[in-house]
Amino acid sequence: MTTTFFAASDIAGQFGLELPKLIAQVLIFLVVFYVLKTKAFGPILAMLEQRRQRISDGESKLEKIAKDLAEAEKNAKAIVDKANDDANRLVKEAGDSAKSLAEKRQQEAIQEASQILAKAREAAQLEHEQLMAQLKSEFGRMVSDATSRVTGKVLNSDDQNRINQETSAQVSL
Amino acid sequence: MLAEVSRAAVSLASKDSFLSFVTNSFFVALVVTGIVIWLATKATTKMTLIPHPWQNFFESIIEAIYSQVEAIVGPKQAPRAFPLLATLFIFILVSNYFGLLPGVGTIGWGEGHGMLSLTHIDKPLLRPATADLNMTLGMALCFMLIWFYLTIRELGVWGFIKHTFGPKGGAKGLMGMFIALVFLLVGAIEIVSIMFRPGSLSLRLFGNIYAGETLLHTMMTLGEMFGLGATGKFIIATIAPIPFYFMELLVGLLQATVFTLLCAVYIQLSTTHDEHHGEEHGDDHH
Repeated sequence: MTTTFFAASDIAGQFGLELPKLIAQVLIFLVVFYVLKTKAFGPILAMLEQRRQRISDGESKLEKIAKDLAEAEKNAKAIVDKANDDANRLVKEAGDSAKSLAEKRQQEAIQEASQILAKAREAAQLEHEQLMAQLKSEFGRMVSDATSRVTGKVLNSDDQNRINQETSAQVSL
Repeated sequence: MLAEVSRAAVSLASKDSFLSFVTNSFFVALVVTGIVIWLATKATTKMTLIPHPWQNFFESIIEAIYSQVEAIVGPKQAPRAFPLLATLFIFILVSNYFGLLPGVGTIGWGEGHGMLSLTHIDKPLLRPATADLNMTLGMALCFMLIWFYLTIRELGVWGFIKHTFGPKGGAKGLMGMFIALVFLLVGAIEIVSIMFRPGSLSLRLFGNIYAGETLLHTMMTLGEMFGLGATGKFIIATIAPIPFYFMELLVGLLQATVFTLLCAVYIQLSTTHDEHHGEEHGDDHH
């Protein structure tokens, strides 16, 4: 055991292993360790974590945005569908309403035309009757004139009325 | 001519002086410390979410190391073990690469030859910090102290003893006793292995970097060994080491990685709970 220790000690001596040098090197290493741990690794790991967190937040926000977008698209589609349905319904209603109105107007126009036609017929009938009465009267007067010229007699008003009435009764137009 | 690379770091002060601990590797360790701290300060000054180039560079290194450490020691131990492991990796890597800079091992004091020229360099000013056993052993000892702290914090003293010597597998009866005996012996071997860890870690790193220095030195002095003239020696000293510089770049990274990964594995081995131990905890929760 002692021999081994001395052999090891001899080998260590050959490689310049000495306690003061060892302590000095250990101190240097500890200084590097301390400085890197406090000034470098801590801030850098914190920064990496912060960046990772930010990326993670960004991804979750992205997912949320995508979800919101999908929902918004769904809502928009529902709104558009509803608007389409409403528009179709309104168009259909407007069409029905227009059709109904047109029919109503047509009926009114037909009715009005019928009325105008009836009135026109009435007026024509009246005019016809007036003209006939006038014609008859004229014809009676002409018969009276012819009678008075043929007979040479001056017809009084009773005769004239009687001849007119008889003529009117016999003339059929 | 370059003298043979000495196995020990050379003291820059006289041996009797109080400053005898200031060796050429200590000096390089100070320079490396300055470089690392300067880089870290530059990277962490005015940090923003959108990183500036230095911040980006340092962050990418830290992130890569952290993910490796987390993959080995687990998410629970990673925040505790990471600062030490990352410091080890960065410090060893910068030290190893610093040793490849021109002037390391070739500037110093020795037998004079002419104006700013030496025939032999007896006392190089610069020596890679990791080519000094004091530094590698110091780092290994620091690691072992923190390893012990992390292990005891995680398992407790009794938990560590159980973890090391306790029988696994749940066998009972005569077989159980036999297995307990085997695990007792395995635990004793484990303790010896733990005691050897600082030695193995430090000698592996020291050996590789020292061997690299020696290799480069040999390549530079090949011309002299072949007895070439001044021009031949100059050409050989310039060209011959070039391929080995690339190899040393790889070795420097590899040794930093090996040292760090082994430390991470040691932490993982000692802080992992046994399965049945975890199940007991699980049962307690239920």
